[in-house]
Amino acid sequence: MMMELWNLYGMQTLMMLLHMVVLLVSVLLGVAYLSYFERKIMGAMQMRQGPNTVGPFGLLQPFADALKLISKETIIPSQSNRAVFVLAPIVFTTLALLAWSVIPVNAQWVLADINVGILFLFAVSSMSVYGVIMAGWASNSKYAFLGGMRSASQMVSYEVSMGLVIVTVILCVGSMNLSDIVTAPRPWWMQILLFPMLIIFLVSILAETNRAPFDLPEGESELSGGFMVEYSAATFVLFFLSEYANMILMSAITVVLFLGGWLPPFGIEALSIVPGVIWFVLKICLILFFFVWCRATFPRYRYDQLMRLGWKIFLPFSLLWVVVVAGTLIMMDAVP
Amino acid sequence: MTSFQWQSLVPILPEITMAVGAMALLMVGVFRGDKSAQLLNILSIGLLLTVLGLILGITPFTLTTLNNALITDSFSQFGKAVIAVGLMAALLLSHRDLREGVMGRFEFPVLVLLSGIGMMLMVSANNFLSLYVALELQSFPLYVLAALRRDNAQSAEAGVKYFILGALSSGFLLFGISLLYGFAGTLDFSLLAGTLMQNGAVPGAVIGMVFVLTGLAFKISAVPFHMWTPDVYQGAPTIVTSLFAIVPKIAAILLFLRLLNGPFAPLTPDWIQIIIFLSIASMIWGALAGLVQQNIKRLLAYSSIGNMGYALLGVLAASPEGTASVLLYMTIYMIMTAGTFAIILSVTRHGEGVESLHGFAGLSKTSPAKAYALAALMFSMSGIPPLAGFFGKLFVFQSLLESGFYIVAVIGVVTSVVAAYYYLKIIKIMFFDEQQESFDDAPSSQARYFVAALSLAFVLFFIVNPNVLMATTRIAAQSLFG
Amino acid sequence: MLATLAFYVFSAVLIFSAAMVIVVRNPVHSVLFLILAFFNAAGLFILLGAEFIGMILVIVYVGAVAVLFLFVVMMLDISFADLRKGAVQFIPLGLFIGGVLLFQFYVLFQSWQIAPSAMLNITTPSLSGEEELTNATQLGRILYTDYVFAFQVSGLILLVAMIGAIVLTHRQRAGVLRQKVAEQVARKPSDVLEIKKVETGSGVE
Repeated sequence: MMMELWNLYGMQTLMMLLHMVVLLVSVLLGVAYLSYFERKIMGAMQMRQGPNTVGPFGLLQPFADALKLISKETIIPSQSNRAVFVLAPIVFTTLALLAWSVIPVNAQWVLADINVGILFLFAVSSMSVYGVIMAGWASNSKYAFLGGMRSASQMVSYEVSMGLVIVTVILCVGSMNLSDIVTAPRPWWMQILLFPMLIIFLVSILAETNRAPFDLPEGESELSGGFMVEYSAATFVLFFLSEYANMILMSAITVVLFLGGWLPPFGIEALSIVPGVIWFVLKICLILFFFVWCRATFPRYRYDQLMRLGWKIFLPFSLLWVVVVAGTLIMMDAVP
Repeated sequence: MTSFQWQSLVPILPEITMAVGAMALLMVGVFRGDKSAQLLNILSIGLLLTVLGLILGITPFTLTTLNNALITDSFSQFGKAVIAVGLMAALLLSHRDLREGVMGRFEFPVLVLLSGIGMMLMVSANNFLSLYVALELQSFPLYVLAALRRDNAQSAEAGVKYFILGALSSGFLLFGISLLYGFAGTLDFSLLAGTLMQNGAVPGAVIGMVFVLTGLAFKISAVPFHMWTPDVYQGAPTIVTSLFAIVPKIAAILLFLRLLNGPFAPLTPDWIQIIIFLSIASMIWGALAGLVQQNIKRLLAYSSIGNMGYALLGVLAASPEGTASVLLYMTIYMIMTAGTFAIILSVTRHGEGVESLHGFAGLSKTSPAKAYALAALMFSMSGIPPLAGFFGKLFVFQSLLESGFYIVAVIGVVTSVVAAYYYLKIIKIMFFDEQQESFDDAPSSQARYFVAALSLAFVLFFIVNPNVLMATTRIAAQSLFG
Repeated sequence: MLATLAFYVFSAVLIFSAAMVIVVRNPVHSVLFLILAFFNAAGLFILLGAEFIGMILVIVYVGAVAVLFLFVVMMLDISFADLRKGAVQFIPLGLFIGGVLLFQFYVLFQSWQIAPSAMLNITTPSLSGEEELTNATQLGRILYTDYVFAFQVSGLILLVAMIGAIVLTHRQRAGVLRQKVAEQVARKPSDVLEIKKVETGSGVE
């Protein structure tokens, strides 16, 4: 009986677990070094050094930070709603890592190759708002609550146009499977047609991950940290970690949707000697650089400006563009 | 896959025109703001005239279209034409109030049009799915309209009450539909009728039908599902009340007729009991509760409850004659209500519409024309010959007697005598009571006088040539039994 | 076997959280349990092979509708305990009505029967059988062909809901300063700046 079960599920499960561990470790390492590179790049842009003392070139700085935070005391405010307070960072982190299960890192390199991968990603990313809103509410603090509310309305608003962007891509490739989205042929006119959507998507993911210039939920200068204000030590680490994991995830989604995933750039065959994973990571790094660049460049948006951009510019434009893309596809007789 | 057939859209051309027109008007309103409300209102009336032309222009063959979702026949054609006329009357009545202030919203005509599409689709629904979506499309704008004067607590209450009870009734309807689907495995009216015919009155199907009828009884406010009506009529802005009173119930009654004589025809012995109860209860309660009302809108609400009772009497006969009598009754009732509201809306004091019953005291002195017109309409409502209202009731009772419902007919006559009391009370107040405070001198809008004049002319001169309308209703009723 | 296990887990959590929605005192907890219930319902859909509906359930209900619920519940600050106080006196009445309904349903489903021709009536949507179609494709093919009418009218209903929400809540407030981007962009230095050569000691007039 046990042998049968082992033969049926055991090996498979073990391999699955191994894949998961590899993926998670890479994501976490990615998070660690994203924070390092962010500080380095910001430093360079502001003519500073950035972290440079811990380890060679400060390379061990992320680990030093993590160790420091974990070894501190976790403070739970006495007036807070304890269960939800603790649950919030857990939910946030789980969701940030859960989405990775459908991202294809290379041809066939994906944990779950499901038919509705893009919907899964969209669902998970739309749920990550709960971590924030729960944290904001459970902290029982005005700053945290304001941050939570801001983040909820911001994420819901920008999800609308993100959804429409995804619809245009699905229209072009005719599948919701992420691997199919990467490999589907895209003629030059389709690339041009999708370019405005790429811009909208890039701006929307900034808002979706609460990054500058849309970091109103945190807004350290007005809300002194927003929904995270009451979190410390390990719970704070979870938030920090999942925020950066979300950034990498969103970059990965952008790469899958628009930049051709693991395929070599510009369809140059000669470049395919370099493994697909490398291209995938390089492309992600490109988008991540954009994240950091934005943070170093733009001042924070005002709240009404944020809402105006989302509802009055992005939403009508992406709605219009869905029609344009659908019309063009029919005109070119390229409906997949 | 078969390619799309454009011809399949021809039968619902009026609704498509209306939907496209409503959306175009919405865009005009969005860019031009609330100051364009009256312009949109005129354009909406123009659109409705076009739609009426299309409705009458399409030859009434019995056709089903869009995968049997809709049916068009003389019955639906008649219904749609009456609804279009009713909507035009409602829009004409509201024209003046849209000029400015809280009611000066450009969304008003657009919402009325959208609700109108729902009503028109309701009368040509051919399966439960299209029935449900059309019913919701009809109801949603009405919920919004009831709460349109949102700063007024009564209006907001009316909106919320209407919405919650409407949602509840939709729940009943859906539950009934699901039971019917569970029994027959189909939502299609004719297939359901066939299945019921084969199997007779199975408990599941009967209970499903009861729930469906309950859901619809909410929409026509038949007792005991009438609780929302007085509050909504009183709370909603008067122009919206006039819309409620004039149009939606026609669509719902026509839906009753189509359902009871179509898919539920095999269950006739079962639904007859329900309809008898609904109609008797509505007639009695409409007559008795109306006696003590002090607010004219509330009074008209009870009057409409009672009138729905009479309309349902005609449904009982389950014959072409009965159906024709219901169609005639509803048309006459609609026209009388439009006239009544036109006059009520045009009687103002300090710029506000008069709502209290005693506020009408002395109307015959200051504006005798309005008083006499309202008196004629009230006489007609109470069914005094030779006015139109009398014929409406006459044909209903006639069809009832032909089918042998003597006791019900007697109850109907008695309640109609009781109800006559409050119609006559309005006349008495107008003509014989002392005036408390003077009415506004400024004449009301031309559009209202126009509606009132048309309605009055119809009521007075219906007797001259009743055959045109009666023949039309008979053809429409025939097509239902075809 | 795994699927069966998953089914029982999803159903058990679904029923548990649905019960908790009405049992817990804190309304925010209620909404959170509601979200959990939605989530498990989506799981059940996926087990049924309806992955598209499952995902859409999560996106629409969890991602959008429940967020707004949570929003409202958090903002309202209603003491639900106070609301419940009055409800206690209606419990006997509620139990009575519930009992009667339960009895009626018992009687109804005792004698429940399905029409023999029901199976014939059930219309299987006409899908070409050669190819393996995904959920989304199948739904799309039915929705845009056989049920296009209901689909379009639903669209109109949503339009009405949107208009209604705007009509009932949108107010033009006087005295609100709004950003006019076009004006800001169109502003040139020459419109607002005046550069003057000032003689030493004379000042600007």
